[in-house]
Amino acid sequence: MRLRREVPHTLAGAYALDALTDRDRARFERHLAGCDACRQEAASLREAAARLPAASAVQPPGRLREQVLAEAARTRQQPPFTADGLAGAGRRAYNWRAPRMAVAIAGGCMLVALVLGGLFISTQHRLSQDQAHSRSIAAVLNAPDATIMSARAAAGGTATVVMSHRDHALVLTTARLPALTAGRRYQVWLMGLHRVRAAGMLPAPRQGMTAPMVVSGLAPGDAVALTVESAGGASSPSSAPVVMIVLPS
Amino acid sequence: MTEGQPGIWPPPAGGSDLAALLARVARGDQAAFAMVYDRAAGQVFGLVLRVVRDPAQSEEVTQEVMLEVWRSASRFDPHRGSATAWLMTLAHRRAVDRVRSGLAAAQREARAAVAETDYDVVAEEVETRLDAQRVRRCLDSLTDLQRESVTLAYYGGYTYREVAGLLGVAVGTVKTRMRDGLIRLRDCLGAGA
Repeated sequence: MRLRREVPHTLAGAYALDALTDRDRARFERHLAGCDACRQEAASLREAAARLPAASAVQPPGRLREQVLAEAARTRQQPPFTADGLAGAGRRAYNWRAPRMAVAIAGGCMLVALVLGGLFISTQHRLSQDQAHSRSIAAVLNAPDATIMSARAAAGGTATVVMSHRDHALVLTTARLPALTAGRRYQVWLMGLHRVRAAGMLPAPRQGMTAPMVVSGLAPGDAVALTVESAGGASSPSSAPVVMIVLPS
Repeated sequence: MTEGQPGIWPPPAGGSDLAALLARVARGDQAAFAMVYDRAAGQVFGLVLRVVRDPAQSEEVTQEVMLEVWRSASRFDPHRGSATAWLMTLAHRRAVDRVRSGLAAAQREARAAVAETDYDVVAEEVETRLDAQRVRRCLDSLTDLQRESVTLAYYGGYTYREVAGLLGVAVGTVKTRMRDGLIRLRDCLGAGA
């Protein structure tokens, strides 16, 4: 038998056996998306392939069971896929003279996991000193509704937050914000539609980056902003924010 | 992808139970997860071991797979296929990713000196044993070339192009054999289920 044309459909078997390269697989899945019959066939072949391991079962060592169960007990689970999804929440207008900024919204556990890894590596020294702090960071980063956003400050540098409405909290970290003169610090604010709350002073940077900072008491409609204040902190912002991130509600 | 039809394929014996367990796992039920582990770990480990070969790495991959099951149980959609297919697909992809990443080869060398561990073949219950026999019998019903193409891809972790190279046949022929082989396997298993 000779096949002269590439008929995507004939890839159903290879697809079910994971015998496609990533590129071929992506192409085939596009094909499936537009073909009910192909999707049904692919699913039925997938079911057939999935029966193969029944013929080759091997008992793993008992310790693996203990490891897996213990690890699961301390691993947060992913939320189901839903129509409204994690990301893509719209920006809300905020009545403040904010500097020009670029806001990127991304969502999903993968990204959060990357940030989690990055943050933890960059701040390991600090976290080991403060387990409770580290746990509250992990709680936000692993929250099922965790959303990551970042904004560029007009004067340079970026602020990144991972926020969770479920936990009413966010984790804030910054990179390469302009250095301040002695006696001046960046102060963090939660800016709601009706009031502005002081949320603490940004930690001093190390190699241009600040360690993740947990801000709790987050409410729907809040934006997070940084202003330059005296080192002791202010009770209300004395200047326009150097950067502000409008959070999805 | 959009939803497929429910009941595309009769689920294997006990499959619906596994689906029910996964639903409980999705809600954070650790006891249910332990049951899923007990039901699936043998098949997962056996599969990974055949693909990856190296016992230490196979344990690692098995652990990754089972934790992935725990983490993403809520993503299992019974309308799109059986719980067994979801779980074994996850396991197979992980195993294949491992061998294709090249990590496997490097670590295999590093661990060459480590004594090979002997693993017990699963102490099978009657039902499992019958299922295993049925699968072997159905696999035997494939033509040699179909079976070779299917097993090289599935257990060898090779792409269909690589399988074509290994068997010295045209790429199109291999694709067809894989598909025809799985169709025959499907029909054989379906008839005997």
